[in-house]
Amino acid sequence: MINVQNLYKKFGTNEVLSDISTSVTKGEVVSIIGPSGSGKSTFLRCLNLLEVPTSGTIEINGKNLTASKKTIHKIRQQIGMVFQHFHLFPHLTVLENLTYAPMKAKGIKKAEAEMKARLLLERVGLSEKEKAYPNSLSGGQKQRVAIARALAMEPELMLFDEPTSALDPEMVKEVLDVMKDLAKSGMTMVVVTHEMGFAREVADRVLFLDHGVLVEEGQPVEFFSHPKTERAKDFLDKVL
Amino acid sequence: MNLDFSQIVPYIPFMLEGIWVTLKFVFFAIILGSILGTLLALFKIGSIKPLRWFADAYTSIFRGTPLILQLMIIYYSIPQLTGYDISPFLSAILAFGLNSSAYISEIIRAGIQAVDKGQMEAAQALGVPYRAMMKDIILPQALKNILPALMNEFITLTKESAIVSTIGYLDLMRRAQVVGADLFRNFEPLLFVGLIYWCLVMGLTMIGRVFERRLKQSD
Repeated sequence: MINVQNLYKKFGTNEVLSDISTSVTKGEVVSIIGPSGSGKSTFLRCLNLLEVPTSGTIEINGKNLTASKKTIHKIRQQIGMVFQHFHLFPHLTVLENLTYAPMKAKGIKKAEAEMKARLLLERVGLSEKEKAYPNSLSGGQKQRVAIARALAMEPELMLFDEPTSALDPEMVKEVLDVMKDLAKSGMTMVVVTHEMGFAREVADRVLFLDHGVLVEEGQPVEFFSHPKTERAKDFLDKVL
Repeated sequence: MNLDFSQIVPYIPFMLEGIWVTLKFVFFAIILGSILGTLLALFKIGSIKPLRWFADAYTSIFRGTPLILQLMIIYYSIPQLTGYDISPFLSAILAFGLNSSAYISEIIRAGIQAVDKGQMEAAQALGVPYRAMMKDIILPQALKNILPALMNEFITLTKESAIVSTIGYLDLMRRAQVVGADLFRNFEPLLFVGLIYWCLVMGLTMIGRVFERRLKQSD
């Protein structure tokens, strides 16, 4: 589903991603971990061209991302993204947050969009909040709405950029639970996270990035118990 | 003290008529300035370089020269260059609208840039096309930030509108001068229209507050 070849990203002279090649198959849940500043988020943001790679190719379903600037919003419609700081639209109600993109970008009728949105809100347990504005929600609720908003576009792939890092500790679980359900439903997911528990339990594969280099990748059980590289060992010693 | 307001009483209807005359062109100037200002702001933040240069040059010229000069140039040069006898009304709308759009474009540009970058990223990530994103997501939030500055600009425009008296447009200010010349007493009519200007500005301020309150609904 995703195929990344020799991806480089530079900010000025600062090389943030260096020669990254990997792929993700349909239905797979991949966790990207690594120290802060390792380029995890930048890598994720390259996958829907929020960052434009300096060189290398990214294919989503066989379509080359970098070659199709004009059709990029069509491709993005198939890729849901969840941000660390939610980025809900503050001037729209929860329901409008969910229906806006399907109506504007896909031309879906309002009644149909609202029906689907209500189903999604039910799925993330926030049916009673449909008329609320985002600023009246807790962090965990905001993030669940943000996940529902991304799902409203019926994406084939979901990207999560540290979805629980901005949350109070007691709200982390409710968001992770929604993500676990999503993983079980067969969604293809790429998750940048500091939640090692989530990476270990839910992910099919772990990518470990350090200084913009894909240092190690493997099955979570294998990776967490027997990391092959020094750098991964160092990192795991610090966080576990 | 030589003050006698009773003398201006017969002229009051004449001066009050000036409210409508002033408001009429101020209204159109605000509309023109807002539309043009929004376009210029979008040029400034857009990625098309020639449009950006145009918008910057435009702002530099209209902010860099006196409004009264722009008004005179429009009023006197258009008949001279094209033979079209432009009315004071149309000149006033053009001068004030064009001038105001330079200021408004800067206000809106700052407002757009103050909207959290994440909003644009979220809209992009959802695959929302640029135009819809600007219209539905970014501009409404920018508007909320800039409303006080925008109202300020509209208030300035309303007050500065008195400059059109210099091209013989019969606005409030001009009417006060006419009455003053008729009576050989200037202070009373000037004070009278001063009060009217103040009321107009208070009205605008109130309208601004209502809008602000309505936009705060989502907080």
